[in-house]
Amino acid sequence: MAGSDDIVLADLSDQDLVQQMHDDLYDGLKEEIVEGVNILLKRGWTPYKTLTEALVEGMRIVGIDFRDGILFVPEVLMSANAMKAGMAILRPLLVETGAPQVGKMVIGTVKGDIHDIGKNLVTMMMEGAGFEVIDLGINNAVEKYLDAIAEHQPDIVGMSALLTTTMPYMKVVIDALKEKGIRDDIVVLVGGAPLNEDFAKAIGADAYCRDAAVAVETAKSYMMRKHNQRVAG
Amino acid sequence: MTGGRGTAERGAGERRTRRKAEASTGVPQPPWGPIRNPMPPLELLDEDGLRRIDDTALRVLEELGIEFLNDAALDVFEKAGCRVDRSTKLVRFERGMVRETVARAPRTFRLHARNPERTLVIGDNTINVGPVGSPPNVSDLDRGRRPGTFADLTNLIKLNQMLTCVHHSGGTLVEALDLPADSRHLDLYRAHTFLSDRCFIGRGIGRERILDAIEVICIARGITREQLMAEPSLFTVINVNSPRRVDREMIGGLMAMTEHGQPCIVTPFTLAGAMSPVTIAGALAQQTAEGLAVITLIQLLRPGTPVMFGGFTSNVDMKSGAPAFGTPEYVRATIIGGQIARRWGLPYRSSNVNASNCVDAQSTHESAMSVWACIMSHTHFMHHGTGWLEGGLVASFEKVIVDAEILHSMRAWLSPLDLSDDALAFEALKEVPPGGHFFGATHTMARYEHAFHTHLIADWRNFQSWQEAGSLTATQRANVVWKKLLESYVEPPLDPARKEAIDAYVARRKSEIGQRGIL
Repeated sequence: MAGSDDIVLADLSDQDLVQQMHDDLYDGLKEEIVEGVNILLKRGWTPYKTLTEALVEGMRIVGIDFRDGILFVPEVLMSANAMKAGMAILRPLLVETGAPQVGKMVIGTVKGDIHDIGKNLVTMMMEGAGFEVIDLGINNAVEKYLDAIAEHQPDIVGMSALLTTTMPYMKVVIDALKEKGIRDDIVVLVGGAPLNEDFAKAIGADAYCRDAAVAVETAKSYMMRKHNQRVAG
Repeated sequence: MTGGRGTAERGAGERRTRRKAEASTGVPQPPWGPIRNPMPPLELLDEDGLRRIDDTALRVLEELGIEFLNDAALDVFEKAGCRVDRSTKLVRFERGMVRETVARAPRTFRLHARNPERTLVIGDNTINVGPVGSPPNVSDLDRGRRPGTFADLTNLIKLNQMLTCVHHSGGTLVEALDLPADSRHLDLYRAHTFLSDRCFIGRGIGRERILDAIEVICIARGITREQLMAEPSLFTVINVNSPRRVDREMIGGLMAMTEHGQPCIVTPFTLAGAMSPVTIAGALAQQTAEGLAVITLIQLLRPGTPVMFGGFTSNVDMKSGAPAFGTPEYVRATIIGGQIARRWGLPYRSSNVNASNCVDAQSTHESAMSVWACIMSHTHFMHHGTGWLEGGLVASFEKVIVDAEILHSMRAWLSPLDLSDDALAFEALKEVPPGGHFFGATHTMARYEHAFHTHLIADWRNFQSWQEAGSLTATQRANVVWKKLLESYVEPPLDPARKEAIDAYVARRKSEIGQRGIL
């Protein structure tokens, strides 16, 4: 659909293009994001610089407006899908170049609970922020988490529950991590309508995340600490 | 520098427009429009019950009579064949004559606003809302409770003008106690005609105040008195000084209104236990008798003049004597009052009232009960629809917004339900697998922004987010909303020549009243 208002991305300076990609992410324009990522790579941008400056920064703005009630859930979904399309190009290149990754998360609803709409929103927002998310789906026994951790070596494990009867199972998983001696290697985030900070502390989780936007913020801050430790170490 | 690429489902550049929309008033509202009630009215009493109330009312009129403290009114009744006792000023009515005379009033009429788009249908299944009337005090969270001023009055008129769930500009939204009592009605009429494009209420206290309202509305509409008679614009509320007394001033106002074909809202002040029997059935029989007596006078003076039957029956607190509103007694009386008005073929007025001392759970609960009663009774004019507090002693800015929230919600659920194939959404059900979600479904994507009613003050954030944002209660959020609305107020256009003419009229009348007082 050509028009006089159309913007040709390839004609923009680096700075204008990155600004335009932030807007396109906000507007959930998937094809434009794919095009923008390819142009930046062609101009010699590293995959890591493309990821952080064009995509992650754009999604940070989306996250703020989602948190502040300006954006609708379906709009954030479209933004996250656009981000994912960009990530699909960048991920193999990031691995190739050995660049630091945003982070990897295994997430699932605990055993006995099949209520997953909140967990799906967290998955969407985490992917939107550039995390690689392995979604175990619903009704997960402790073995499922342990197997996934062994296979994917995630930085973060996320657990969710809607029922007061199923939320105690989160402690079963955390205790199993302790038993295996891997608890300190992994950040455990928990969420779900009946939970609160005190419960998270009592079961030995690292943090309670009240909603998807907070889950992303929390995950990012833990990853930041991890990177800093690595640098310091 | 947003998109403008237009290749996706959603046009780019939306970010900027969305933010602009938020910034314009910051308060989302549906467009102005009447509330149409799709339900039949609730028939709480059966035919036998209604007949028993009516019979008692007619017996009161026949055997006990109603006191009219005005000789001209007594002359009219005497000429019509009523039994008039000049020494006691009691008028007794024969029931056949009452039936015949009241039947001359129309079931439905139009009330013409200076902006023709704001003209109202009074009757049928339409619910029209007007703001709070006549409190001496005003309150808001910032400045507390205080005597009303002209500045408060104009702010309340402006605020209501900004609300799309309010259909009528009302009368004295708060008394301007900083202005002289004899002439403040002129400032009131000028404020209504300049600041609002909706109909307003004339002050029915004596003849002159009504004649002033008639003159001002004729100038504002650019019409003659003859045209005003054919196309009424004004309301006034004629209260009966219950029990069974109609005072001289009110009759003066009533006569001036009727001569000019303007509709009175006849509302007996029947608070059970104080001015009425302590039983709701007895208070309703009294309300019916008093209302019919005054409506009979109007129809004798000028047959066919539009009129409304007002129901205000509630109870009092028998420990203090203070009025109570939004009570089960009030709801019952309001619904049965509607039945009685329909039985007599008259449009019906009731109110959104409460007796709480602040904007709190009690005020909201009692108001919601009152509004429900208005809906179920097929109220055609809801007086005191926004802002009433403390049994009518206070006009509250925050309460205006809380009431608007209730009224917007009621209007939204009463609107027709979309049952098109598209709305039945079979395709969307097909698209989403078992256990999936609809946030990203094509059907949702095309509709999410306007799929649901938007609220003024409801806050659905999770607890921690709400807490981080300052733990504001609904009343505190209402405080933010009324200020935003007032900030974005725009005066509705009015021909400058008419404004000048109104100013000149008001100035001339003030000088006259200054010299010889008001009659």
